[in-house]
Amino acid sequence: MNLDRLAVRARQRSSWESIDLGILLARRHWLQLATLWLLPAAVLFLVLALLFSDSPNWVIFAVWWLKPLFDRLPLLVASRKLFNEPMSNREALVQFRRANRTDWFAWLTWRRLSFTRAFDLPVTVLENARGKARSTRISLLHRKAANAASWLHIVGVHVEMILGMGLAALLYLMLPEQLEIDWMPILNDSNATYAWIANGCSLLIMAAVAPFYVCGGFMLYIGRRVDLEAWDIEIHFRKLRARLDARQQRTAQPHSTAKTTSTAASLVCALSLLFLTTLAGPQPAHADAATPAQSEVLIDEVLAQDEFHQREKVSNWRLRDFESREYRFPDWFIAFIEWLEGLGGDDDIDEGADEDLSIGPLLAGIIEVLLWILAISLVAYLLWHFRDHLRGLLGYRPMKKIAESHTPETLFGLDVRRESLPDDVTNEVLRLWNAGQQREAMGLLYRASLSNLISRFDCAFRDHHTEAECALLVRQEAERDPRLQPALVQFFGLLTKTWQRQAYAHQPPQSTQLENLCTQWQQVFHETDSIRDRDRERGRNRDQKQEVQP
Amino acid sequence: MHNSSTQPHSPNPSAEITGLDTLYEIETPEGIDLTSRLAGPVPRLLAYSVDLFYRTVILVILGIAVTFAGNAGVGLWLLISFLLEWFYPVVFEVLRGGQTPGKRAFSIAVVNDNLTPIGWGPSIMRNLLRFADFLPFGYCAGIISMTCSRDFQRLGDHAAGTLVVHRDQAAAPAALPQVTPMAPPRGLQLEDQQAIVSLVERSGELSRARQQELADLLQPVTGKPGDDGLNRLHGIGRWLLGARSADDNLRSADRQVGGQ
Repeated sequence: MNLDRLAVRARQRSSWESIDLGILLARRHWLQLATLWLLPAAVLFLVLALLFSDSPNWVIFAVWWLKPLFDRLPLLVASRKLFNEPMSNREALVQFRRANRTDWFAWLTWRRLSFTRAFDLPVTVLENARGKARSTRISLLHRKAANAASWLHIVGVHVEMILGMGLAALLYLMLPEQLEIDWMPILNDSNATYAWIANGCSLLIMAAVAPFYVCGGFMLYIGRRVDLEAWDIEIHFRKLRARLDARQQRTAQPHSTAKTTSTAASLVCALSLLFLTTLAGPQPAHADAATPAQSEVLIDEVLAQDEFHQREKVSNWRLRDFESREYRFPDWFIAFIEWLEGLGGDDDIDEGADEDLSIGPLLAGIIEVLLWILAISLVAYLLWHFRDHLRGLLGYRPMKKIAESHTPETLFGLDVRRESLPDDVTNEVLRLWNAGQQREAMGLLYRASLSNLISRFDCAFRDHHTEAECALLVRQEAERDPRLQPALVQFFGLLTKTWQRQAYAHQPPQSTQLENLCTQWQQVFHETDSIRDRDRERGRNRDQKQEVQP
Repeated sequence: MHNSSTQPHSPNPSAEITGLDTLYEIETPEGIDLTSRLAGPVPRLLAYSVDLFYRTVILVILGIAVTFAGNAGVGLWLLISFLLEWFYPVVFEVLRGGQTPGKRAFSIAVVNDNLTPIGWGPSIMRNLLRFADFLPFGYCAGIISMTCSRDFQRLGDHAAGTLVVHRDQAAAPAALPQVTPMAPPRGLQLEDQQAIVSLVERSGELSRARQQELADLLQPVTGKPGDDGLNRLHGIGRWLLGARSADDNLRSADRQVGGQ
């Protein structure tokens, strides 16, 4: 066994990784391994088929039962391939008898149904261990890997079954629909030809799966040995040793006298290294070293000092602990569950029959709580959905517009926020007009109207509306909203027209016309102010009345 | 070693395989090498079985619970079984770091093939294509594809560009032999240092005789045969792990931080 020629990388692996590596190895040599499994099995199958031609199922059962015999050749070849030792099919087949010499009876009788066959076979086939030696060895190897080995076996059995059924299903899928086949004679065993075909297919599937099963178990065994015997460390140490020896020889060769004493020199060197490193405190460096050996010692001494060793303190952020990853039910959850159980249990007291069914009360409690949540959310939804109707029923004005509309701050470039307006609009307008700023005066008047319409009458102006659309909107709104008096609508229409003429055609109105508009403006908006106040007064009265009524 | 005959065959160097391993290595544009350990068919099939078991348990319990509801119950049950079949893995893979409960049980996880966490798109893709993997019966296509493809990918993985990798919990730091740390000699490369550290960390599991055998290989380094050599090697290992005096136990904390 030469570890340097190991085909796989030696490192510590988990059991599952070892099995994965086995799959990789089996894939590399699949054709040879499958052939070596199939040849003896097929010979046996054919011989038995000739002898017992009327009982195909017993024949395939016999082949299946003898599987441990057939598994040994692929295992032998895999073990050679692992160390890159070639082995042809002929060489391997010659070894069939030798491979099956050890413990063949045990493997065919009481160990036949062992779940760890692939994992245990290497001990028999490669180590030739039997009896007590085998059992101690197996118990040592099983300590960490038995679980994975059993699962490998279970997966292998199922994959064989699935592939068999898959092949049948594939054939069925590929049959033309027009072909009407009477399935019954095929499915029951009376038709021997179909049974032979089916059993031949099972044999092929067994041969196809066997390399993966055998190699999976074998690599699990190898992984366990790497773990137990530290193969990975040995490989590295051997490499290091080879390098050290090579260097030793290179340095020793120029001095003819040192040739034979290379090991002694290294011993001396290491000993002095030990001596020097155990000395406390830094040594003063000596420049006058007599021999290369002495200078090497000096170099080692200097290099061992702290200046040549970088010590870093790395600080970084990390999670404080990872324990929270484990699921632990919080206390409130447990209390909640108990409460649920109590809730469901209340109803069962009079029955008393379902006491032993422990899930019953919990389930009932959960359903009860869910129903209550459903009912409450339904009521809440209905309240929300018909909130306007309810509001109307209670005598409040619907607040739909205010709630829904997002009042714009500017319309066609005009600032319509209430804060941007002067306190006395008409005075300011007239002042501007008299100062000759006709455009600004008209703009302010129009702007103030818009702002008032938005803030007092909840007109749903939007950013994209034009002046004409605003006027139209006010007219339409007036039909629904009694607060918008006809005078106001009319005034706004007139104002819009005047403003449009001013803004786009640069035709200012007459002075009298403007003064007219100003007085109208005051009338319209102040009147509505007073109307609104009256409304509010009336509403409050009505509220009081309603409070009195019950 | 009990291994049978080692015949002196002349090896054919071209046919030699070395370093066969299940590692998946990529290099990021920044020049960082990332390594992951691919998960093969066996743990993946088992993880799937665990998930199948959980789903079946849920459906059975649900089936009993909805028997009171008659036809509406059957409808509800069918809806939920549909959702469980197609979206149980998706939800877990995306929201729980690539691990369904079954995958968590076997410490494996789904990632994109550039080792980034899996997102909704690839996860839905690979799970919808389970249908293709199922054909012709019982995930035959998936099993064959997983076994034969280089990175153990099933058809859905190929389509979505995903991998399944091992994600084991880091092992707790082992107890170290209590020996005086000492500085290593010159000329130890990184791999050599790692091997020595590994020997020290596994000193509890390996037999003393085997450790001495290994230490004897490094006699030029330790300078002493047998037990003394081994002790010296342990000292070097502790020194490499950061200990500077015999009762220096900072190491385990340091390594936990550095190892993450």
